[in-house]
Amino acid sequence: MNRPVAVSLNHLSKTYPTPLTRLKQLLRRPIKPAVEALRDVSFDVHEGEIFGLIGRNGAGKTTLTKIVATLVQPTSGSVAVRGFDSVSDDEKVRAQVGLSTAEERSFYWRLTAEQNLMFFARLYGLSDDEARRRIIEILSRLELIELATRRFGELSTGNKQRLALARAMLAEPPVLLLDEPTRSLDPLAASSMRELISSLAGGNPPVSILLTSHNLAEVEELCERVAIISKGQIRALDTPQNLRTRHKQTERVQFDVRGLVKEQASKLFSALFNEFEVAEHSEALAISFTRESGDDALDRVFGMLHDNHAMVLSVETERATLLDVLESYETEKELER
Amino acid sequence: MIKAFLLLLRRMRAFVVRDFQLAVSYRMEFFMRVLSILIVVTTLYFISRIFEGFHDTRFEQWQNPLAAWLTGLAMLNYFMTGFSSLATAIRQEQMQGTLESVLLTPISVPTVIISSSAWDYVQATFYSFLYLFFGSIFFDVEYRGNFLLALLFLILTTLVLACLGILSASFAMVFKRGDPFGMLLGAGSALFSGVFFPTQLLDSGFGKVSRLLPPTYGLDGIRRVLIQGQGLNEVREPLTTLCIFLIVLLPFSLWVFGRAVRRAKREGSLIQY
Repeated sequence: MNRPVAVSLNHLSKTYPTPLTRLKQLLRRPIKPAVEALRDVSFDVHEGEIFGLIGRNGAGKTTLTKIVATLVQPTSGSVAVRGFDSVSDDEKVRAQVGLSTAEERSFYWRLTAEQNLMFFARLYGLSDDEARRRIIEILSRLELIELATRRFGELSTGNKQRLALARAMLAEPPVLLLDEPTRSLDPLAASSMRELISSLAGGNPPVSILLTSHNLAEVEELCERVAIISKGQIRALDTPQNLRTRHKQTERVQFDVRGLVKEQASKLFSALFNEFEVAEHSEALAISFTRESGDDALDRVFGMLHDNHAMVLSVETERATLLDVLESYETEKELER
Repeated sequence: MIKAFLLLLRRMRAFVVRDFQLAVSYRMEFFMRVLSILIVVTTLYFISRIFEGFHDTRFEQWQNPLAAWLTGLAMLNYFMTGFSSLATAIRQEQMQGTLESVLLTPISVPTVIISSSAWDYVQATFYSFLYLFFGSIFFDVEYRGNFLLALLFLILTTLVLACLGILSASFAMVFKRGDPFGMLLGAGSALFSGVFFPTQLLDSGFGKVSRLLPPTYGLDGIRRVLIQGQGLNEVREPLTTLCIFLIVLLPFSLWVFGRAVRRAKREGSLIQY
């Protein structure tokens, strides 16, 4: 990737120490072991890239996000956001980063949406005029302008979540940290949110996005690269397609065709595949087979069906999903124990 | 430098505006508070009439007990704000869940804490003024002397208490609850600093406790100025004591606070409550 690096994580580790250990030792109280949340995590997020981070609850996603946002200090290793260190230059890092979470309690419930945004805009150092212009612009973009004067507590869960994104975008940060950005949204709102996220990354100037989500289809749709995190360690990092391919080299394909009889289809397909299934249903044939990812089987099947005057009604493929990939790494981890 | 200062002021204004908007959303609370101050002042007026004609040269500040109580309560209100608002600001933001989003903005933790308590000072100034104002217009309490000198005492004592407040905030950040400074100073100031009765009445043991508390000197100074009409030369002693408190406590409290912030960030407990 030739684009400049926006966020760089270098051998990042975080162990949460047990608070007041010495006092507990003195009082002879039981001491819980320290919690290792991240171990030796390294990766870069490039300018304009949407980078996905997936993993189970407690895998370390939130700790990682909080370290990038400077809310938590790493035990070792470092994070640089556009060249600024998250510990020694924390204020400069915060000026570069916007964080949007699904946490509803992060707003003042008795203030209106606009008053909330105005408060945060002032903290970002925007003048009142600038802040007003920006708030109107963002609320319009997120289709929230009509709710500007409503108290935050009166907004629906989905609109609260959209307001969290509005807040993250206030200072036009070059880096956005999005924690489950579509969790509480209805399907249409989720779809337009995904479009917005894509447009931000592809915009001018481009925004680099670190996205954590449990919605793997969404991660697959949006992210250029995905890291799988488990027990604080990065288990795999690649494009969604490469992760899938690495996990499973084959995919199941089903053709629905008309214009062929079952025996004829069986004869034709036996010339191409050792294993396949043919079934009759509502005046059509459902023919399914397994192919290697990237081979020329589809091309040959289309050619054969065309030569035999068959009409292709539909083609469906069943390939490994990110869920399969994630599951495989979790199983691997269980086996390691 | 000037730009940074203006930015700091803008951010402080943001907190004051936010807290004003929140306060306005609870209108009833405001009216009830004003009413309760009026009731307290009226009650104290009637109690003070028991002591009518009381003259004892040992208690010169207490010739008019109502004036002594009202200055005591007004200043106690202000001093307690100076002391408790910093820790309260952190606790409140932690409990509401808004601390994380505030700390995500490019603003330092000390600025967040100081700015979060700014509205408390605005409120405390208003309510403290109400004690004196109601006493003056309804019950003919007279204040004299140099108001600027009284203001100096007020600012100085508030700063000393703010240093203790910073220690309290540091404690709240690390231990979350059970702040010992709050408990000691809250109860101690009302009992030992001469808010309700002259400190001369305390025996030698409690008298020593009284002399350890900064509000004792603040209140004494303000009463000497406002009630007895004394000038700078006569109030030099409490003024010097307050300055010594400030010189010792300010660097110490800032050092402790810096350590508490670092510890909370290391433990990841800054936003926990």
